[in-house]
Amino acid sequence: MRHLKRLWRDFFDIREGELARTALMSLYLMCVLFAYYIVKVVSRAMFVANFNPDKLPWLYILIAAFGGMFAYGYTRLAIRTSLGTAVNAAIGFFIGTLVLLWWILGFKVDWTLYVFNVYTSLIGIVLVSQGWLVAANVFNPREAKRLYGILGLGAVLGAAFGGTFAAIVAQYVDAHNLVLAAAFMVLLAFFCYRGAVRRTGASLSRTRAIGEEDADFSLGYVARAVGKFRHLQVIVAIIAITYIVDVMIEFQLNAQAKLAFGEDTKAITRFLGAFYGIYLNIATVIFQGFLTGFIVSRLGIGGALQIMPITIIGASLFNFFHPRLLTAGAARLLEASTRYTFNRTGMELLFLPLPIDLKNRTKAFMDIFVDRLSRGIGGIILVLLTDWLVLEKYPHRVSLLVIGFAVVWIFLSERGRREYIATVRKRLETRRLDFDVARLKVRDPATIRLLEQTIESDNPRQAAYALRLLAGASGYAIQPRLASLAGSPHGEVRTAVFEIARTARTPDLLEQALAETRSSRGGDRNSAVAPAVAYALTVSPDPRDLARRLLDHPSYLVVSSVLEWLADQPEMAQDVVTLEWLAACADSGDPERRALAAIAVAARGDHGTEALHKLLGDPDTTVAKEAIRTAGKLRERVYLADVIRHLADAKTRGAAIDALAAFGVRVSGTLADLLEDDSVAVAIRRQIPRILQAQGDQRAVDVLLRNITQRDLTVRAAVLRALQRIRENKPNLNYGGVSVQRQILDEAKYYYELNAALAPFCDKRGQRGPAGLLAATLEERLRLTLERMFHLLGLRYPPREVYAAYLAVNRGRREEVSHALEFLDNILERELKRIMMPLIDSEDRAAHHGSELFGIEVKDAATAIRELIRSGDDWLASCAMATAAELRLGALRPEIEEASRTAGPVASRVAGDALAQMA
Amino acid sequence: MAELNIVEKVIALEAVDLLKNLNPDQLARIASIATEERHPPGKTVIEPEKPQDALYVVLDGAVEISRNRAPLHTARQNEVLGAWALFDTDPLAVSAATVEDTRLLRIARADFYDLLSDNMEITASIFSTLVKRFRQLVEQ
Repeated sequence: MRHLKRLWRDFFDIREGELARTALMSLYLMCVLFAYYIVKVVSRAMFVANFNPDKLPWLYILIAAFGGMFAYGYTRLAIRTSLGTAVNAAIGFFIGTLVLLWWILGFKVDWTLYVFNVYTSLIGIVLVSQGWLVAANVFNPREAKRLYGILGLGAVLGAAFGGTFAAIVAQYVDAHNLVLAAAFMVLLAFFCYRGAVRRTGASLSRTRAIGEEDADFSLGYVARAVGKFRHLQVIVAIIAITYIVDVMIEFQLNAQAKLAFGEDTKAITRFLGAFYGIYLNIATVIFQGFLTGFIVSRLGIGGALQIMPITIIGASLFNFFHPRLLTAGAARLLEASTRYTFNRTGMELLFLPLPIDLKNRTKAFMDIFVDRLSRGIGGIILVLLTDWLVLEKYPHRVSLLVIGFAVVWIFLSERGRREYIATVRKRLETRRLDFDVARLKVRDPATIRLLEQTIESDNPRQAAYALRLLAGASGYAIQPRLASLAGSPHGEVRTAVFEIARTARTPDLLEQALAETRSSRGGDRNSAVAPAVAYALTVSPDPRDLARRLLDHPSYLVVSSVLEWLADQPEMAQDVVTLEWLAACADSGDPERRALAAIAVAARGDHGTEALHKLLGDPDTTVAKEAIRTAGKLRERVYLADVIRHLADAKTRGAAIDALAAFGVRVSGTLADLLEDDSVAVAIRRQIPRILQAQGDQRAVDVLLRNITQRDLTVRAAVLRALQRIRENKPNLNYGGVSVQRQILDEAKYYYELNAALAPFCDKRGQRGPAGLLAATLEERLRLTLERMFHLLGLRYPPREVYAAYLAVNRGRREEVSHALEFLDNILERELKRIMMPLIDSEDRAAHHGSELFGIEVKDAATAIRELIRSGDDWLASCAMATAAELRLGALRPEIEEASRTAGPVASRVAGDALAQMA
Repeated sequence: MAELNIVEKVIALEAVDLLKNLNPDQLARIASIATEERHPPGKTVIEPEKPQDALYVVLDGAVEISRNRAPLHTARQNEVLGAWALFDTDPLAVSAATVEDTRLLRIARADFYDLLSDNMEITASIFSTLVKRFRQLVEQ
């Protein structure tokens, strides 16, 4: 029974609130197809009986020409009005014209058969495409993926009943009278449509195919849209090939029917009625009801789109080698049944990720106009080939051409799948902004004049920027400008002046630079000091002497600038920075002097001094940070332990991470040992992934991958974050597919376990008290687990898109979630999809899925609390014990007593209170 | 009455508007630096013109807030005193004194800063709350 239920749900997964909408939309399509198949069978049978097959290609061209014009007019109507109005108008039009046609056909004039056939081709495609367009607005993409199969089933049943009805009734009444029955079915369709829309809640009167700015819809708009969106180009190409092939295969069938039945209208009607009504629909029912949903969910959109061309190739080969009515019928049977099922569903899905306005604006046009045009092209090809291939006698020769088209079609389907995923990705990424900074290139005199005015302005930032641009202008004499601006009151401008002068090695500003250093005092934050010092040392005739003199300057800024400059002149640094100076600074009571000592070690090296060890342990944060930076520059392993210790201190952690990252791969092994060692403080282990992330090579990735199973969840989260960041920047490294997949499955299992534990406390959510707190904690754990799973997914699939999908799922907005799910559904491998999709898609049914996938059953409160107390997570155990006391679960006393003895001090205290409360 | 355990402290902190965006694990970390104080009636908790260095949550009892001896409000269970003291060292223009036996939960600013420096996600959550509050003020 359970297996049957599961089978039913796999195929027909209708959820609460969806039944009425689904049933009415399905009935709407059924009525429309019923009407269409009546007129289709009758019109084609009358034409084939009255004309030779060589007239058929001309009929297809006529259908294309008139159909194209009608389609254009219809699309303008749909675009200028709301979707609702367009549907009402179309239904009214077809009821009226069907009655009129019935009257005209009674005169039995040949040309009316052309009119009848042209008209027939319009009725189904307009009403059916409208039905799918309404469905796209009635169901969101996720619902659509589950329910479109059922809507398609309604369409197939309508076609079956319509064709069979025509075949039977045509034996007793004049065929043209059946047109009245078709009008009645269109009327019934109207009522179903109204009912479906009323139950949706969303008004189709607000669903305009275009915005106000596009009220003057034109063919040009559609052409521009197709030109702009590659996704639409692929859709157009697939639709075009579908209908060219359709015309050719239909031609084969009709021509073989004419060869077999001659001018016997009743026989042809019986054959076509039985063919379209029974055989075609048995095949379609099987495909749609039992295979389409299954194929789409297993093979994805690409698989769904490829079934039809592959099937056609097989059938056409058979028909070519065994030409007769049976094989032509088989080819037509497979072509039509796969078109109404796999291909139709695949195409509807292909449209879904497009923006809704674009989708509505172009979909009707695609379905009608591209359809007509393609049939017209098919007709022209047949006209051109009729004499050459003697198609009137040997219609099976068309099969070779069909095979050629089908091969192209297969490639287009694969392209369609890629475009579909790319479009979904783009929509997910809409929230990301990238800023491109364009560099201004100075060339023309007007720009030069503008920049010269700007450097004289009162806005120092703009002035400095303009000055740098002028300095970069080819052939521009910047020196006079530098001389005048060296006295600017703005430090930012003087900074630019000295930097430019240093690059140009212009010695004219030496006096101004030395004046800048002389004016510097302790605590000075003048940004021009450092560039002035660097410039003065660069252009000074005796930099060694100048550096030596400046080292005794009272300003920290001046001395540190000298040391920074000396770092690039190691030989001079050895000479200028003496060990005595260094020792005096290192032993100074002034933290600024000790910090200078640390910087000096970086400049001259640590040979002959142990100062850096001492400075690394300095209680002053500024000194310690400078010492850490120096250790990073020296990259000597003897300082490694001292630097690692700083990972636990929030104030020096940033510097420590940078320094350890600067050590590079040489310390990967040490970091790996620390990360894997449970006895090392979590505060240190949690930071190691950031260092490995900064290293960002394969070795770092390997270390991180070994630790995706870390017991401590905060460390595990840090590992995953680091891996994801590396993957974003270096996608070509190896991210260990199998182990990652295994971990995703483990995380999923943990998610369902947490969910099972949460179930008995769901009604406590939002309440104040221990049980409410426990529920909130478990919910937070679920959120974090989901986050980890997405981090892991980001290691296997495009990380930015996966992250965007996570944000969408996290925000919980319906349409965003739908797009995220759609994206995941298409990229995830089967096993991952099986586990992940239910977890995200139907959170409300997570308990059910946990049971089905992992055998995890929902627990009662006592069992859940018992397991949480034993979880090893102190905070969860504390909440659980307090909840046990609140709910008076005396049966849990033994577990709480044990926790009071074995847990950490915080949890033990809660255990003691819980026992006292339960006493 | 025994001192609160960590779960009880978290439940008390859940009522603090400034901390409402924090999840239970984060609140537990703040609870670990919160200390319980008991005061008899008439005890001054906040003195005017003196820098504040802590936030208080009223666990039970009542604290009267006044300006120039004119009562403004009586804070009772779960209400917070001196929330802004966590971010601003300037003295408040009001005083607060207990009017009955009162238990308070105290979070010292120095401890709070240490905690924030080690827990970036708590800082981010509190910033988020402050920004929302600022936005509300602007929109008013």
